Amino acid sequence: MDQRGYMMRKVMNAILTIVLVASFNFVLFRIMPGNPARLLLPRGKVAASDIQRQKAAFHLDKPLAQQFVYYWADTLRLRFGYSFAQKRPVTTIIGERIWATIILAGLGTVLATIFGMAEGVVAGWRRGSRVDTITTDVSMVNYSMPTFWQCLLAIMLFSVALRWFPVGGESEPLQHFNMWGPIPLDLTTAQTLLYHITLPVLMFALGYYGEYHLIMRSSLTGVMNEDYVLTARAKGLSGDTVLWRHVVPNALLPTVTLVMMNLGFIVSGAILVETVFNWPGIGLLSYEAMAERDYPVMQAVFLLGCVAVIVANLIADVMLYYIDPRVKA
Amino acid sequence: MIPRRLIRWVLVWTPVVWLALELLKYPKEVPQGGVAAVLGGFFSSSIGDYPPALLLVIAAGLLFWGGYVLATRRLAWRLAVALLATGAVVLWWALVNGGLLTAAGFSLSGRTGFYTWLWQTLALLGAAACVLAWGASYPERAALAVDRFGETWELFRSNRQGMVGLWIIVAFVLLALLAPFIADHARLATDAQYGHVPFEPPRWSYYYIMGTDENGLSVWAEFVWSARISLAVGLMATAISTILGAVIGIAAGFYGGGIGEFFMRITDAFLVIPWLPLAMVLAAVWGHNYGVIILIIGVTSWPGTARIVRSDALRVSALPFVERSRAIGSGSWHIMRKHILGNVFPLLFANTILVVAIAIIAETELSFLGLGDPLNFSWGTMLHNAWGSGGATLPAWWYIIPPGLAIVAVVLAFTFVGTAFDEILDPKLRSRQRLSRRRRPTAMDNLATVVATATIGGAVAGPGHGDTPSERRQVSD
Repeated sequence: MDQRGYMMRKVMNAILTIVLVASFNFVLFRIMPGNPARLLLPRGKVAASDIQRQKAAFHLDKPLAQQFVYYWADTLRLRFGYSFAQKRPVTTIIGERIWATIILAGLGTVLATIFGMAEGVVAGWRRGSRVDTITTDVSMVNYSMPTFWQCLLAIMLFSVALRWFPVGGESEPLQHFNMWGPIPLDLTTAQTLLYHITLPVLMFALGYYGEYHLIMRSSLTGVMNEDYVLTARAKGLSGDTVLWRHVVPNALLPTVTLVMMNLGFIVSGAILVETVFNWPGIGLLSYEAMAERDYPVMQAVFLLGCVAVIVANLIADVMLYYIDPRVKA
Repeated sequence: MIPRRLIRWVLVWTPVVWLALELLKYPKEVPQGGVAAVLGGFFSSSIGDYPPALLLVIAAGLLFWGGYVLATRRLAWRLAVALLATGAVVLWWALVNGGLLTAAGFSLSGRTGFYTWLWQTLALLGAAACVLAWGASYPERAALAVDRFGETWELFRSNRQGMVGLWIIVAFVLLALLAPFIADHARLATDAQYGHVPFEPPRWSYYYIMGTDENGLSVWAEFVWSARISLAVGLMATAISTILGAVIGIAAGFYGGGIGEFFMRITDAFLVIPWLPLAMVLAAVWGHNYGVIILIIGVTSWPGTARIVRSDALRVSALPFVERSRAIGSGSWHIMRKHILGNVFPLLFANTILVVAIAIIAETELSFLGLGDPLNFSWGTMLHNAWGSGGATLPAWWYIIPPGLAIVAVVLAFTFVGTAFDEILDPKLRSRQRLSRRRRPTAMDNLATVVATATIGGAVAGPGHGDTPSERRQVSD
């Protein structure tokens, strides 16, 4: 398959999926059984002007077909209406909150990838050794634990019993930062940030670590049975060369896809960790929106989550094209 | 001749299922007043009191199936009669339970409770009769099925992890079913009668062995009653997910071209939808109850199953016997039902058990975010309450550790059993196990492999189907 055809196909697929998902988003909030269009209007005692503004923002006074057209026009221009709870445009709110999530999830993913995969390589290479047994058992147990429960245990142990870290919600350090402006890099801020972010990042990493370990290990085991590994050994290459030159690069392929997929799920994956630690990112935002029935925010966050996954998928496909020669064949 | 083993199974399992059904609807308060009261509970009016819609669906299914058998398979008339009779009983039960006959002037003079109990028992006996009639109508097929089952069971029994998992599951199922006898449901009401100190640490007393929660209620009683909801939600969500995944996967694998492509597009679209935000949206729109949670988990977790089933269905569709079957004039429906489903089934079954584990975790996460039914307890709801009331900062470890441990135990147990079945049904894995036994065995060797494969095959089906190396390997061999 030539490069251009492959890329075109992947990009077209991604665009098609985005169109599908965005239309589903429209359907979800307007046609679903259970008080459809009214979901997007504020409830309770609200000034008539607020309702009017909201109606105008979502074009609820027009027929459904026209609403669909307007919905697309607004979505493409990144207009998602006004939040009920905060009385501000949804786009602004998301812009403020997204950095906290990116920092948390970015650091967490890096940690999980490095530790999970390194361990997976060691465990797979020395299959049956004590290192393998212990790390794989730990990963399995870790994999079967709900993330938020790990967070609760960590808070009880490290924040409450040992007092190493703050209890979630004690203060919100990122509130002072304007993420679009210059980031203050003095020592105190950095300290506060580190003090607050360490535990959430560790817990976020722990949520993925077990999975990465298991995937890497099984992928490595699969590759080690291949003929070319036997050939490499027969040539007299040292164990390290076989491992790093022949086994690991091939074993990495499926893992790259997995990591990219998980990157796409950051928005949703951070919900539990951010909620438990009161970390002011997109995850906490969607939790708050749910509690306050802030539908415009929920709608936007949902769409953002879907698009993130699709884009991450696309990137994974493109990367796979360059690192896996079999795709080109 | 009905195979003797089949008769024995029916004799053993009919009472067991009967007892399980009785216990599900047993009055929730611990009966006071000796043996008579305990036995009385088995005949109380709540027994057999199911939603009429569910009964109607079952009745319609049974009657339709009976009619179909009667119309097409003359020789299996005994099966048809048993099916129709059972269907009639369930239909009558549904009509009375739904109050449709009362409206028409039919009255049981207040003894509906007793009759629903009777109908449940009759319907179960009818089901047993159906199994026996099936054995009588198709003796060879029954003998084969019994043999195969026995063989699988022998293999499973020799799998230590699988048996450990099975025992853990049995223990938790017993805990859930026997809940009325283990912990009084009245203890769950914020009632002055049992009012205790909030967040009291555990002490030596039956109900306070796990301390108290933020309302001073017994954590032990909550723990016991939570087992019911957590297991039930996990199992029912899995049923939805498996049916959807199997139907779409088989259809996509069998029909290549346009139809298959269409199904895979839908699967891909569902695969990219982040399920937690979707679940939050749906729960907010439809309300907080377990029906919604089951639906949400079922509807969002099928794409993984569909992909795995599809790749296996693709493999089976290419086998020569499918072509031969078509050559002698079999229709698509027949081939999909008999040949493809039959061959995909082992994989589907093992996958289903693994999905239960995922569904239970999913339920916990949703309940933890406060989407569960506030009137019922599940382990996730307990953790939600513990966290929401500041139990973590206390730290009220007795309130937070038990539900979490229970979740880990149940999820691991289902993973054990699912992996054991994967090993039994996939000879390649079995040989790998033997290989690793010759070296030094690692406790979770195969387990890790199976889980990893499931994750890669399911969740990471990211790049368009057929493009990931793992999947291409599956399709090509």
